[in-house]
Amino acid sequence: MSKQIVRLSVNGSNHELLLEPQMTLLQALRDELGLTGTKYGCGVCECGACTVLVDGKPVLACSILAISVRDKDILTIEGLAGNGNLHPIQQAFIDYGAIQCGFCTPGMILSSKALLDENPRPSRQEVKEWLAGNLCRCTGYVKIIEAVMAASETMVKGGSHGK
Amino acid sequence: MPRVLQPFEYLEPRSAAEATRILADYGTRAKAMAGGVDLLPRIRQRKICPEVIVSIQNIPGLDSIKEERGQLRIGALVTLHTAELDRLIKERYTALHEAVHHLASVQVKTMATLVGNLCVATPASDMAAALFVLGASLVVVSPDKERAIPIEQFFLKPGQTALQPGELVTEIVVPAPAPDSGSAFLKLVRTAADIAKVNAAVCLTVDGDACKEARIALGSVAPTTIRAPRAEAAIKGQKLTGDTIQAAARAAEAESRPITDVRSNADYRREMSGLLVGRAIKIAFQRARGQHE
Amino acid sequence: MASELAVVGKRLTRPDVAAKATGSALYTTDMTLPGMLTAAVLRSPHAHARIVKIDTSRAAKLPGVMAVLTTRDVPDKLFNMGTSELLIIKKEHLIADQHVLNNPVRYAGEAVAAVAAVDEATAQAALELIEVEYEVLPAVFDPLEAIKPGAPRVHDFAGNNIAQHLSHPYVSGDVEKGFRESDAVIEGTFTTSKQKTAPLEPASCVASFDANGRVTVWSPAQRPFLARRRLGEAFDIPEGKIRWITPLIGGGFGNGASLRAEPICVALAQKTRRPVKLEYSREEQFVATETRTRFVQMVKLGVKKDGTMIALQTRVIADAGAYFSATGSITGVNMAYLLGLYRVPNTAGQADIVYTNTTPSGAVRGYGNPEGMFALEQVVDMAAEKIGMDPMELRLKNHRTTGEPSRSPSITIESCRLAECMQLGAEKIGWKEKRATRNKAGIKRRGLGMAVTTHNAGSFPRMLDYTNATIKLNEDGSANLTAGCCELGQGITGVVSQIAAEALGMHAQDIVVYAGDTDVNEFDAGCVGSRATYNIGNAVVRAASEAKQKLLERAAKMLEAEPGELEAREGRVFFKVAPDKGITIAEVAKDAIYNFKGDAGQISGHCSWEAKWNTPAFEAVFAEVEVDTETGEVRVIKVAQAHDIGRAINPLTVEGQLEGSIMQGMGWALTEDFAVNSKGILESDNFTSYKIPSSMDIPETEVLLVEYPIESGPFGAKSVGECGVNAIAPAIANAISDATGIRLFELPMNPERVLHALHRKEAGGLSY
Repeated sequence: MSKQIVRLSVNGSNHELLLEPQMTLLQALRDELGLTGTKYGCGVCECGACTVLVDGKPVLACSILAISVRDKDILTIEGLAGNGNLHPIQQAFIDYGAIQCGFCTPGMILSSKALLDENPRPSRQEVKEWLAGNLCRCTGYVKIIEAVMAASETMVKGGSHGK
Repeated sequence: MPRVLQPFEYLEPRSAAEATRILADYGTRAKAMAGGVDLLPRIRQRKICPEVIVSIQNIPGLDSIKEERGQLRIGALVTLHTAELDRLIKERYTALHEAVHHLASVQVKTMATLVGNLCVATPASDMAAALFVLGASLVVVSPDKERAIPIEQFFLKPGQTALQPGELVTEIVVPAPAPDSGSAFLKLVRTAADIAKVNAAVCLTVDGDACKEARIALGSVAPTTIRAPRAEAAIKGQKLTGDTIQAAARAAEAESRPITDVRSNADYRREMSGLLVGRAIKIAFQRARGQHE
Repeated sequence: MASELAVVGKRLTRPDVAAKATGSALYTTDMTLPGMLTAAVLRSPHAHARIVKIDTSRAAKLPGVMAVLTTRDVPDKLFNMGTSELLIIKKEHLIADQHVLNNPVRYAGEAVAAVAAVDEATAQAALELIEVEYEVLPAVFDPLEAIKPGAPRVHDFAGNNIAQHLSHPYVSGDVEKGFRESDAVIEGTFTTSKQKTAPLEPASCVASFDANGRVTVWSPAQRPFLARRRLGEAFDIPEGKIRWITPLIGGGFGNGASLRAEPICVALAQKTRRPVKLEYSREEQFVATETRTRFVQMVKLGVKKDGTMIALQTRVIADAGAYFSATGSITGVNMAYLLGLYRVPNTAGQADIVYTNTTPSGAVRGYGNPEGMFALEQVVDMAAEKIGMDPMELRLKNHRTTGEPSRSPSITIESCRLAECMQLGAEKIGWKEKRATRNKAGIKRRGLGMAVTTHNAGSFPRMLDYTNATIKLNEDGSANLTAGCCELGQGITGVVSQIAAEALGMHAQDIVVYAGDTDVNEFDAGCVGSRATYNIGNAVVRAASEAKQKLLERAAKMLEAEPGELEAREGRVFFKVAPDKGITIAEVAKDAIYNFKGDAGQISGHCSWEAKWNTPAFEAVFAEVEVDTETGEVRVIKVAQAHDIGRAINPLTVEGQLEGSIMQGMGWALTEDFAVNSKGILESDNFTSYKIPSSMDIPETEVLLVEYPIESGPFGAKSVGECGVNAIAPAIANAISDATGIRLFELPMNPERVLHALHRKEAGGLSY
């Protein structure tokens, strides 16, 4: 199939890529842009390892065509820390022992960001519900939930809410 | 199993008319796509290999939920996440809200649309069961006409809908719930984020202790979502007591035609059809009466 | 004493997590090399079939295809994908039964051919052009069917499909006599399932040959040195011509103890002389990597009225799947724990390891122990019920403890705090109060259950347990530590840096750890078998102590003192009697390199460590469940898990291991099911069909660390990696029984099975 020029705005930078239409956003990020923080985990919208934010909403890059998100704002894990400062969610994941093998971590952190953007003070139950689409096989989720609760606290207090 | 998708052409029509013309031209070689959460994984797994994907994402006017003349109209681009947050659906179309809410993955809810979910025609669709009892119909357009398909006539068999080549679903229309009515949705799953082993939806209109109208639907226990008319008959015009509810449950069991697959077995599904119907009747009844009071 | 530790015991941040939080952490799947090709594998649609004809000509001609690999292209040499056998001292378990590509193929999903091409799409397109003519052979999927006369034969050499018969080596007494003398004899047959490890990272490999014929392999293997040797055996390449690099691993759980994608990837790299990358799809990860072993275990326990256990017997059928891998040693371990947890004078154990036409089984967290506990710990509860004793009392009365033989009789248990674990866990779950008052009527019924377990730290004395560690100090006072600690996510790099820092008097963040590179590291047996903290830690503490001695000697010269007068701590060397008088480690380390006085000698330490002891960890698990008696659904409300850890080097890491174990054990107990249809095709081949717990499924957890430092472990540490998963399923099973009176003998304990058992009970059938 014919390649097309696709403009992607990723982490605030614009890229013009020559892509075939069946290219997924996951492939474009990893193979074309070298943004390997977004992971392939299942290819069936179940594990959440490929979660990125498109216009602030969590989506699964393995099952979204790159061409269909041209000109939208895409945020990957590489774009979350600003000016060398970790985002409060990243910091909380580190501090609370929420990271083990780390393969689910980028997706987990971005899902958490979408949650806290929509609901800055979630209950524990709301955190658990929101993260149900991000599988983790290492942690038992206990410290992940703690980290999100702690990040919420930090962000509400610090006013560093939002991007 | 490949990790990459089979090649295809990708088109993004700007109007429903244009979309239907493309769909009519390509016939079975084309697939319409909204969220893609079902379509793209199946293309990757080589279960289907469309030559053309027709994305409807840029067709204006399909992304809203509105109430018009007492009817709820849900556009083909309304995502499950949007529907979940919708106050009107939450307050008045309870079974639908519950069906959407209990779908666990936020990412899937963000990407997937209600209409897209129906067009997949999985017998396990939670939304279909809820919309069955709420009496929904689908607005379908084609290059030369528009028609409404009652949702009960929409599903033919697993993976197959009543859509003809060139037809596109643009809206779901749900009539306003009757006064003194209430609805409920229940399902059984393996883990929280799972497709239903069995689901059941019930919508009742009550008069005091009696059931005036009843609509009962079951999912994942037949080739398509089904109504359970004998279960409905068991309570319609009856006082809702332990006995009548039990009779409805038993009728629902008899009406289910489940299979054994990786999620559950036929015996369990059959028994649970009745159980869930009984439980959902009780909840819907409470809600209907609550509204009355 | 404890207050004297500056680094060990602290909840420090691990060195690997910042990269993981920012997306810069590199896994095998993230590797790219110039000119790298992508591989794809053609897999058998049949569970058992002879490849009669294979035509690759059309695939080979497709533009962009660089090589097509079939059985004709792989070494005509049998090997074993598992690595454990390389270390077994007694060689009875060894079986080599597979080629890189096999004909016939013996399970649906087994590799038939492979392609290397310029990209993944081309490789996939080429696979579709390979024409294979199969002669479909009869197949067998159930181990009990497989041993029947006339069953389809999986391997020619294995009559009745029995690959191996094992007698438990440490039998004692006369088990028949023991049963005759028992007041109560309980017997049950328990079947476990082929759980998948399901790491989030699917198997992957990059292989690249250099101009001298040396190959570098990147892969998430948990035992780089043994993987290198296995690979070398398969391809007749000497170890020195293979450099194996294990990058960060995206979840291990034992899967990386066997070869996975590597042999095919290396064969394609050899054929094309270009770097090749092979990444499994999730479906391939499910069908073509090893599973937990399905065990059918008959367990029989005889007790006296006062609760004394006097006879215990097990007869095991172990389902190896299509290839043997590590199933022999897994089965040995299964029997050893089952027969070795309690003090029983008369024991016997027999096992048959059986081939079936299913995905091979292999190393999975617990390595036969959770399977044994699922059976044993239910039988113990059944015995308690029969003699009218509290199940905890029965366990307290009979479990082996300090000073008694461990499951390996030549090793005496150095320290056992299981009684305290039980008491603590019982208190946290409300064992006495809730069992006295719980509601046994109504639709939703609650119950409490418990189970206990033990797990070794490494595999001494049955296997060689050998490792090395080297540490060197840089002139700025930082250090480089090479040790055998592949980072699977368990936090071992943090653990060894804390151990080294404590032993040397440094800060943990000043130590950079190198692991997993066979060219850089010295030999290590791998991050498996709950051995890393205990055995690698023991090497690290000694290497660091040697470096510290040199540090103090040099500092003594600089300070004109005797080494014995000095101490090092938190980056400084100082006088014991005057702690504020001293110099920084950086100053000493700099003097050792930029000396200019003819006295240079970089400070370093080394330890070559062969395990000399093996002190097991112990654990008690308590579970509270709610059973919906109409749907059969089991909700785990709370799990309290008390673990005898010796000393937690980093409590945050230990808790993480245990919390994760609870989730994995619960998934195995309730929902995870490797479902094969009547043709042997795997139906649960992705997370849609194979359900692991999500954040919404986890119970409230309470992880309790019982800390009594032991002599033989580094700073007193025991192990934690596997123990946590052992006792979850039986604790849940016992809680279900407590709630409803039913007993479940097969995993997973899904609602279908629970409801079926409830109906049988209502119908007046025996609950067991």
